Amino acid sequence: MHELSLAAEVIKLVEKEAGLNHASAISEITIEVGNISGIEAEPFESALRILTEGTMLEKSSLNIVKIKARGNCLNCKSDFEMNFRMDTCPQCGAFPSEITGGNEFRVVSMLIED
Amino acid sequence: MCEKCGCGEGEGFNIHDPHHSTDHKSDQIQDHDHKHDHGHTHSHEHPHKLINLNVDILAGNNITAAMNRRFFEGRKVLCLNMVSSPGSGKTTILEKTIGHLTRTAKIYVIEGDQQTLLDAERIERAGAPAIQINTGSGCHLDAHMVESALKKLEIETNSLLFIENVGNLVCPAMFDLGENRRVVVMSVTEGEDKPLKYPYMFQTSHLCIINKSDLLPYVDFRIEEAMKHARSVNPDLEFISVSAKTSEGMNLWYDWILSQKVI
Repeated sequence: MHELSLAAEVIKLVEKEAGLNHASAISEITIEVGNISGIEAEPFESALRILTEGTMLEKSSLNIVKIKARGNCLNCKSDFEMNFRMDTCPQCGAFPSEITGGNEFRVVSMLIED
Repeated sequence: MCEKCGCGEGEGFNIHDPHHSTDHKSDQIQDHDHKHDHGHTHSHEHPHKLINLNVDILAGNNITAAMNRRFFEGRKVLCLNMVSSPGSGKTTILEKTIGHLTRTAKIYVIEGDQQTLLDAERIERAGAPAIQINTGSGCHLDAHMVESALKKLEIETNSLLFIENVGNLVCPAMFDLGENRRVVVMSVTEGEDKPLKYPYMFQTSHLCIINKSDLLPYVDFRIEEAMKHARSVNPDLEFISVSAKTSEGMNLWYDWILSQKVI
């Protein structure tokens, strides 16, 4: 459910930036969503598509980049891809690991039309 | 220069990014090849400009949360954000707490629900000024809503502010309200595996209240097991087991509140 209000936040944010750049429309936005950020990419994208109607983003293509978290085991130092925040090390079964990435939730860039 | 689309300014364009450093080397102009006479209609592709933002989508909320936090610091207010699933007993805990601590400190409550003033009315009856935020279709409170409520509450210095969040163990975890401490409430009628199912909420909380302890003889809930699960997602989490109905354990909760700050 919070995906809806976050989608509204994205529209507010990029429309403001587009305004500062005197853009007439936004043709593409790129958003990174980490897999352990607490945001589900699919409902977020659906919410964004619904809310962009009538905004500068109406015809914009949405480029959602999913980022997978990586864990670095504090015990055996092996590096592995994580699906959940609480994943144990696949090599030695230890927990917790040092997590790098996966928490991203940001607008990376946008392509505007003058 | 073409007045309609501004092409021709070329290198003079200005990209404003308030959230980022001044390195804009990667800002590019694309499709920017216009060799034409002026005075005609524009049939060419409009230029596209790539703007690098790299801005956290929760930045707006987090900035307001930081301002709320400074407001609390300035007024020496202890602000506790109470989160839980619906029906865990947050409002009853607050009613009891107001009754007990109201002689020690001035208490205020911000109530968050999708609909109705029912909880705010209960809190007012218990003796504390309350502001109700109805989120409508929204599933959580955010820092802007709390900021608006603070403008109405006229909070005195050295007081206690409880924010009773919308009953939901998912969405409120994402939104910093500026609180000093986050308190997650679970009850023994829920599953003891809840911390594993909703790890974000337990991970971001400081204290876990396990409520309805008077019902323990009638349910299969094992407190030790629930604590073990919660510690696996947040080793620093503190626990207090209470029954808001019978007041069992509530003194530990009151002591915890007072130990967070000298009131």
